[in-house]
Amino acid sequence: MQSVVQTAGAGGGSNDVQWCFSQVKGAIDDDVAEADIISTVEFNHSGELLATGDKGGRVVIFQQEQETKGQPHSRGEYNVYSTFQSHEPEFDYLKSLEIEEKINKIRWLPQKNAAQFLLSTNDKTIKLWKISERDKRPEGYNLKEEDGRYRDPSTVTTLRVPVFRPMDLMVEASPRRVFANAHTYHINSISVNSDYETYLSADDLRINLWHLEITDRSFNIVDIKPANMEELTEVITAAEFHPNQCNTLVYSSSKGTIRLCDMRAAALCDKHSKLFEEPEDPSNRSFFSEIISSISDVKFSHNGRYMMTRDYLSVKIWDLNMENRPVETYQVHEYLRSKLCSLYENDCIFDKFECCWNGNDSVVMTGSYNNFFRMFERGHRRDLTLEASRESSKPRAVLKPRKVCAGGKRKKDEISVDSLDFNKKILHTAWHPQDNIIAVATTNNLYIFQDKMN
Amino acid sequence: MYSSSRPDSSLLYRDFQCSQLVIFTGVNSGYMLGKGAKRKHEENEDELEGAAPAPASGEPADGPSKASYTLQRQTIFNMSLMKLYSQRAPADASLERRVLINNMLRRIQDELKQEGALRPLLLPASSPPEDPADEGFREAQPAFAVPAAPDSCLTPASLLEDDTSLFCTSPPPHGPPRPAPQAAKDSFSSALDEIEELCPATATTSPSDGTPSAPLSTEAQSKDKNGSQRPGGSASPAEERTSAADPAPPNGLDMSPSAPPSSSPSSSSGFLTDLALDDILFADIDTSMYDFDPCTSGAGAGPPKVAPVVTADDLVKTLSPYSGGSPSSGPSQPFKMDLAELDHIMEVLVGS
Repeated sequence: MQSVVQTAGAGGGSNDVQWCFSQVKGAIDDDVAEADIISTVEFNHSGELLATGDKGGRVVIFQQEQETKGQPHSRGEYNVYSTFQSHEPEFDYLKSLEIEEKINKIRWLPQKNAAQFLLSTNDKTIKLWKISERDKRPEGYNLKEEDGRYRDPSTVTTLRVPVFRPMDLMVEASPRRVFANAHTYHINSISVNSDYETYLSADDLRINLWHLEITDRSFNIVDIKPANMEELTEVITAAEFHPNQCNTLVYSSSKGTIRLCDMRAAALCDKHSKLFEEPEDPSNRSFFSEIISSISDVKFSHNGRYMMTRDYLSVKIWDLNMENRPVETYQVHEYLRSKLCSLYENDCIFDKFECCWNGNDSVVMTGSYNNFFRMFERGHRRDLTLEASRESSKPRAVLKPRKVCAGGKRKKDEISVDSLDFNKKILHTAWHPQDNIIAVATTNNLYIFQDKMN
Repeated sequence: MYSSSRPDSSLLYRDFQCSQLVIFTGVNSGYMLGKGAKRKHEENEDELEGAAPAPASGEPADGPSKASYTLQRQTIFNMSLMKLYSQRAPADASLERRVLINNMLRRIQDELKQEGALRPLLLPASSPPEDPADEGFREAQPAFAVPAAPDSCLTPASLLEDDTSLFCTSPPPHGPPRPAPQAAKDSFSSALDEIEELCPATATTSPSDGTPSAPLSTEAQSKDKNGSQRPGGSASPAEERTSAADPAPPNGLDMSPSAPPSSSPSSSSGFLTDLALDDILFADIDTSMYDFDPCTSGAGAGPPKVAPVVTADDLVKTLSPYSGGSPSSGPSQPFKMDLAELDHIMEVLVGS
């Protein structure tokens, strides 16, 4: 049922790979400024650019250096390419509520010309940004001096054509579209359609369809708001378009279900085409069953045959043709199951972890606590736990696998569940679309790891 | 006499349900436990955590696991209420989180309702179910039958019914604003009324459509504080009853400051009638009882010297099975137990 396609240059299984530290971005000190908290991480379609959004509404884009002939054994480093303020805090006067500027999601558009485009969203407003380079500028104007001041017309005695001359590279980000006022609730997802003309935005109760060129109008395609809000028991947690089929989208809910909708069926996709839900395991039932079943992220595989969902304790891979149960389930941190009451008390049980696929869909990755992140190699059923920490941050140092001791005697190098730091959570991870390069966000630092090239 | 400090609360907490103390001191901390620090009440905590998952059907057969299940459910219910009603910035409130907590509350409410329909009044405690209520009420009886015989034959249940009618008509979820700790009540029976109040109150929150304990406990508290004044319409009957009683140091038995919030799993249905969960959720609830003020010790040390049929400790345990679990109530909480007064009360009950 699984097809693992090896493409030239794509990474193999996680255990053939030795992961090494490459870079870390962000402040070193432990005192985290709230605005610096990273809230989203995303590679673009070629992997050359890596975008991060933070709680302060800023977007920072890193660009990979071209591989130099001098260092054939390491891939290019990522350096800051552009930084801009995407969203500002706003105030909703009608409801007396502040609208956070935190960037919830960034999604890149495929590149069509020299410029790059990305969509970034906060709770209420989506913006389309154009990031373009300028490395030449015109010189030799007739009416202006080089510094821009206008010349005295009486001094103009000749005519000339301005010429473009090289200048230091300047990267400009400009907002090209602002898609506002379409969401009553908080936007949790955006997804670009494979037609590259439309995209969806999803909030807690509704999903809207936009055209990238049109900002004053959007179509509502899913609406689960009950007539009486007191009857509300379920919300939308994530949504995504299928990578190949432009009519297909999925959305996940707080009750652990995923609905696949076909936009050809009806204008309003309230009736799902498929409902993916795994029956509850009665031996694991607890007060927290519903909360831990809430899906925090859903991602299609690159080939479009599978989708992956992340709930509080596990990652599940679903075959789109089988609705009644996932084809694979990976436990991320099962040792937390006996701690759910405490995690409920300190609100950690509501943490929203994301997940991602590698380029050839053979490995999936997700984050955990104590700055641990986990990789699951699908074909070989192997899993790996690594840590993003300053301690293991020597250049090209191989990361040591970590292990959590759930109970009983703790072996050397194992970490006991009780010493895990629940403030250090890795919620956002991203995998380069082709190579074995991963970006892992701790609270305010971005770690870049790559495989050891021999 | 009635300082705002809470005498033996810390002792009470430690008397049982130690694990709950561990839970509630961890609010908003990312650390469940200190990094590498040795945990003290680990076993209890694990017990609480690992308490039987929601039984697939019916109740677990044996007492202890049912008790721990009930305890866990209680704790979670309290936590959930607190999460929904604590004063947090609106920006924090994610709709998903609120919906999930609301669902949790509803589920527990439904369970309690179901159980309430099946079982008579049950105060969870170490002692067998009916006894605590009986004992509590046995203490109360003598107040009304003037000769204070401890083994009066008035049935607690009937009296309980009477009491609950007072509660059924009780006021809206809003707790009345807390006055400063009152001067000592001088009616002994009003103190006993409070015991009665507290006993049914412990059972009341379960049934009917999802009434969280908060409103009821606030009433109980305000009753404690306001002396003979009860909110809403229930004042007069109580007054009438108390008038006949002997004066005695009041509040001596005010040990459980809050009717254990949303406590016992069972209860006679109909204790609280029409308080819908949603009314509560969308109403303005006084949540100061959920403040995490650590209880300060004040009421003195040991059990009363007199050894009556029921000791003060027993009474305390039976009356407030969960007050150890809930974060202690607001500063004006009547942990006003003065053991000297308790002694006196005991003498009255047992002697004469």
